Amino acid sequence: MAISIQVDHVSREYGPVKALDDVTLDIKAGEFFTLLGSSGCGKSSLLKLIGGFDTQTSGRVCFDGKDVSGLAANKRPVNTVFQSLALFPHMSVAQNVGYGLRLRGLSGSSLDSRINDALDLVELSGFGPRNVNILSGGQRQRVALARALVMEPGILLLDEPLTGLDERLRQQMRDEFGRLHKRTGATFILVTHNQDEALSLSDRMAVMHKGRIEQVDAPARFFDAPANAFVARFIGIDTLLRPEKIDTANGQAEATIAGQTLPVRADGFLDPAASVVAIRPDRLFLAPQGAPSSLLLTVVGTTFRGLHRDLKLAFSDGQTLVIAIEADADIGQLTVGQKVPVGLKPDAAVLVSSAGMPQAG
Amino acid sequence: MTAPRLPISSALMTPPLMAILALGLAPLTIVVVWSFWSWDPSTYWIKPDLSLAGYAGILEAGRWTVIVSTLVKAFATALLCLLIAYPTAYAVHFLAGRRLSIILLALITIPFFTSYLIRSFSWRLVLGRTGVLNTWLQDLGMINAPLDWLLFSNFAVIVGLIASYLPFATFPLLLSMRRVDPTFLAAAQDLGAGFWKSLTSILLPLTMSGIFAGFLFVFVMVVGSSTEVQMLGGAGASIVSVMINDVMRVANYPLAFAISTIVLIVIFGLVLIGNRMFGLSSLFEDQSP
Repeated sequence: MAISIQVDHVSREYGPVKALDDVTLDIKAGEFFTLLGSSGCGKSSLLKLIGGFDTQTSGRVCFDGKDVSGLAANKRPVNTVFQSLALFPHMSVAQNVGYGLRLRGLSGSSLDSRINDALDLVELSGFGPRNVNILSGGQRQRVALARALVMEPGILLLDEPLTGLDERLRQQMRDEFGRLHKRTGATFILVTHNQDEALSLSDRMAVMHKGRIEQVDAPARFFDAPANAFVARFIGIDTLLRPEKIDTANGQAEATIAGQTLPVRADGFLDPAASVVAIRPDRLFLAPQGAPSSLLLTVVGTTFRGLHRDLKLAFSDGQTLVIAIEADADIGQLTVGQKVPVGLKPDAAVLVSSAGMPQAG
Repeated sequence: MTAPRLPISSALMTPPLMAILALGLAPLTIVVVWSFWSWDPSTYWIKPDLSLAGYAGILEAGRWTVIVSTLVKAFATALLCLLIAYPTAYAVHFLAGRRLSIILLALITIPFFTSYLIRSFSWRLVLGRTGVLNTWLQDLGMINAPLDWLLFSNFAVIVGLIASYLPFATFPLLLSMRRVDPTFLAAAQDLGAGFWKSLTSILLPLTMSGIFAGFLFVFVMVVGSSTEVQMLGGAGASIVSVMINDVMRVANYPLAFAISTIVLIVIFGLVLIGNRMFGLSSLFEDQSP
């Protein structure tokens, strides 16, 4: 049955290095939860603590409210799909999948039928006698999944399992994870640095940075209300502008940037020194000349990006923003140095804490 | 994995190939061929006449019992070395940190800086009637009189052999453990295996090539050893190389070479069996996924 996880003020220190710094996190039973962050952010350290492969320096890890800190990995109702997969090279597919069940004392036909069910689940029916060393990347991935899922774990840990697969296989396996999560109902925890995976699979996700959790939310909330400048930048909102001042009129906050004002959504932050304006490039558009409530910006240049084109525009104080325009748009009139009007859709600009903003960028 | 063939590869291959042929294969061929020649005891002269007298000589004067006891000693020593070396290698590789593992490796290696002779002799000081061990045991009140079988016995020989050749078992084991991805052990634990289960089901099978290589190295070294038996063995204790030395004194090359050939066949047989059963060659291969 699915198990909930409570991470309670957990720190993990390696000498002077804090891999995890006072992390508190609640993961609901049956949730697909993703730990997202770049390498060295502490996401794998946290996964190791949940799996029981490491011990925290301080704090508690609980499953369904019970402290499991003293429980070794082989006693925990957790199974892991390792980044390297760790398929036992001296065993066949069936022996790999059946390894844990044999340790539980299963044998004979009941063992075989459980193995076959697990292989059916990952669409590898009939692969039992095969040599694991000569399977394709995707097949090895499925064997690793079957080996973990056959144990019917309450919690399945996925440690960057898609790293090293090509893009097509990646998407295929990603869909597979979603399907298996629904099928098994277990709590899935995915560790990844790939935002696409996190966004498409997770019920909720946590963005981690330097051993701390920056934000925990449903994926869409990260774009509507990034917690701070670091999160905004991490999820791809690259335009972060420093406001000169912030005014509130009729409940609507307005930020002034290089003498031009624009409406911003402010969730409590009103200190212009400690906040930045995050602008979503998909909610900006090139306005017709003379349209109201628009910014007038100078063209810096365009970059071809495949399916779209990035148009880089500058304020008079040198701060820049980027708009995505159609790749085949007529850019003949967008010569460098020309001033163009830019319109903002509702909620295009959000005021966020400047924490994690590089200094004087 | 095969390296791309360079046009000069055959030129590069020639010198090592010549060295192997000249230094390795040629003497072996002479040994095998001369073992079938005949020897005249009156002139100490050997003649290229086909003869099995050398092999017949093995059956005389209890020589075959020396060969058998040598093989038994080699087998026992190799087995005991593995029993000691496996936990050692495990500790060095999996348990010790970087610094400690370097220190441990140094401690294993440093005795090699002294000669076998000195090391064997030092065991006399430990195992003798008035040696360290007997003194301690008596001081502790565990025995009343010194144990005589500690020195100049098969026990002493085996102790000396283990002390001499233990690193030959430790290093291949370390090498094979380094090739085992530690996540295999984590995965076994993840699936419910405790320490002993993951040891027997994962680590032992995956280090089989190292186990056999270690066994073979020690076995071969013991078969070729002489110092330990001469220094620590009892009266009349012998070993193949001592026996060969005795035979060579009267220039009976066919007999000496016949003994060598028999030993060679045993060792080659072991290598072939080992390669067949444990994939000895995989120890030196590239790590494949």
